Amino acid sequence: MKSKILTILAILILNTLSAQSLFTDSQKDSTSEQKNDLAQKTEISGYVRGAFYGGSKNYDLTSVFAQFAFKARYSGKHTILHSEIWFRGGNMFDKYYNKLDIVEAYAGYVSDKFDFLAGNQIVKWGRTDGFNPTNNINAKDYFFLTSDPDDQNLSNFMLRAKYRINSAIDIDLIGVPYYRSSNYRFDLFSLGQYAKFVGPTVPESKFKNGAIAAKINFELSRIGFSLSYFRGYDPFHGFNVKTINLDISNPNPAPEILYTATSFHKQSFGADFALPLGSWILRGEAAYNRTKGADLFMFIPAPDISYVAAIEKDFGGYLTILQYVGKYVPDFKPLAEPVLSHPENPMSQLLYLQNMVYYQSAMFNRKIFNQQKSSNHALSLTIRKSFAYETLTGELTGFYNITSKEYMIRPKLSWNATDNLTFSIGGSYMHGPAESLFDYSAPVMNGLFLEIKASF
Amino acid sequence: MKRLTAITVLIVSCIFCFSASSSGQDAREVSKNSADIIALSSMEMVTTLKIYDQKGNVRTRKVSIASKKFGEVTKMIMRFIDPADVRGTAMLVYDYEGKSDDMWIYMPALKKSRRIVSNEKGKNFMGSEFTNADMSKPNLDDFNYKLLSTETLNGKNCFKIEATPKTKELEGENGFSKKISYIDKGNYLCYKIEFYDLSGKLSKTQSISDYKPVSGGKFFYYLMEMNNEQTGRKSVLTTDAFQAGSNLSESLFSPANLEKQQ
Repeated sequence: MKSKILTILAILILNTLSAQSLFTDSQKDSTSEQKNDLAQKTEISGYVRGAFYGGSKNYDLTSVFAQFAFKARYSGKHTILHSEIWFRGGNMFDKYYNKLDIVEAYAGYVSDKFDFLAGNQIVKWGRTDGFNPTNNINAKDYFFLTSDPDDQNLSNFMLRAKYRINSAIDIDLIGVPYYRSSNYRFDLFSLGQYAKFVGPTVPESKFKNGAIAAKINFELSRIGFSLSYFRGYDPFHGFNVKTINLDISNPNPAPEILYTATSFHKQSFGADFALPLGSWILRGEAAYNRTKGADLFMFIPAPDISYVAAIEKDFGGYLTILQYVGKYVPDFKPLAEPVLSHPENPMSQLLYLQNMVYYQSAMFNRKIFNQQKSSNHALSLTIRKSFAYETLTGELTGFYNITSKEYMIRPKLSWNATDNLTFSIGGSYMHGPAESLFDYSAPVMNGLFLEIKASF
Repeated sequence: MKRLTAITVLIVSCIFCFSASSSGQDAREVSKNSADIIALSSMEMVTTLKIYDQKGNVRTRKVSIASKKFGEVTKMIMRFIDPADVRGTAMLVYDYEGKSDDMWIYMPALKKSRRIVSNEKGKNFMGSEFTNADMSKPNLDDFNYKLLSTETLNGKNCFKIEATPKTKELEGENGFSKKISYIDKGNYLCYKIEFYDLSGKLSKTQSISDYKPVSGGKFFYYLMEMNNEQTGRKSVLTTDAFQAGSNLSESLFSPANLEKQQ
């Protein structure tokens, strides 16, 4: 009854105010409350979710939480406000927590040609899926384990200007005044009893340490492509050895190695494209990452060229995306494993110990940066299919690192029980040779997930 | 995602029923007249799709759509309003004469627009009994037409026209072996279509009603229903609000704008 009244009301408004835009007004009508001008321009939505992730070797309950996500948006003729706030509480890696996350909160001026936004935003660049060499702006929480990898995106304060030259070409300019790093919980890994992690080493909050990024994007009739540039500290940081302590007064001296997450500066020159060819679509993305100091500091990766080539097609309802993920390090220099030259000499032993710590740590950084060889290769395959009149969706993603022999599979099944209620079940399993990144990760991050999400 | 690709040209969603024509030149003429009477260079609408299963349980989808012709390209933007979990999802289609469409999708969780392609006309549209073929502009040359008879339907004197895909490949793409349309002899409005599956059995019946006149002697439907004769499911597409013409600028119909309008 209510919807019929609203429908009639909408038609009446349409007939009397034909100069207004039915399309744009309808965007602000999701709450079905057209009581006043503000209500017409304001949208409130969100969801409540209960989530379980667990069953790893180290944790029965890896992450269990309840979450209330609240989204509010106001769109005026030249004004936009947007916010998404999460209230979340639960237990993650055996720690109880209650927290409030500002996922996004920004405001700004918008018009047909030009937008200017300020606040906490998430910006994702790149035309390939999941692996984006040109996407350097926002950090990620890689250890927030849920059914949706997009939950890991972290916003950062930024100023963003977008200028649309025409409907096919736009320019994006971004300034990020302060650095926010991604979150890796390597302290949870079994990296040896002597390794400990201390607080991160981040750049000082100065203008010179901010990041800038620019992109010119073309969406032409037969192809879309862009050229992009990033200069700043990479949210995807490395690790440095802060100190190595050895209590030689102890009869059985045990070393203590303190690691600190350490960010590095880089410039990235990127490009991407999407090219439909009949029922196929080809995507590609590449970036040349220029760094300085890789020879001196283990937490800085060597300059490299990262690239992704993808092909996508729907085979009878099975959406299939195959991607090749590569990285080439032009000046690759193998690390030389230290040799204990004089086993009987205590000073030589100490030197060997120190060199071995640096060697292992540098190797670990190279694993993180996917720079274990001069050419590094990986494949990923995603297959997605909807069933039962699109109320049931199955998805399977597989990843295989040809260079390091690591692999991961991630199945997921989602059921829309009602229009607003979704159940998701799935898991993540990774495996790799001894001392590979997946070998360290598996005891913590392998597991099954189950989620119930109700949207409003 | 594919369900969204189905909505490429929802504004002409009932054109297909006019694509059938009587045999020979007459049939083509009927088809052209039928298409012309609902052809609009620009429009905006809000529509609700209700999907009923065999037990009468209902799911609802609500979308807003705007379409406008710029030069030789008809650009259409469609956005989900309900249900909540897909709210903000949007699709942009550039419909060219003589070549395949350009399509982009924007999903709020993805936070960027993504170029896609669609080649599955026979797939269910948004989980409903409608198919992508029902919702997209048909190519008249894909079908052979035959005037079966004239018949009175709800007091209207109608052409009863059979359209069959010209090739097996087109049959597979469209998901039916033939369709029989009932087109008003007086004003060329289509009221009913019967679809037959690939084995020749009646599979679905579509009824279109509540036509209302819009500007320039054109008409637009406000109610379309598809009954699955084999499963007992049905889907009802209701036009909640319709506006012939649009004052939206071309910049709104751009991939860069999909993100802003979330």
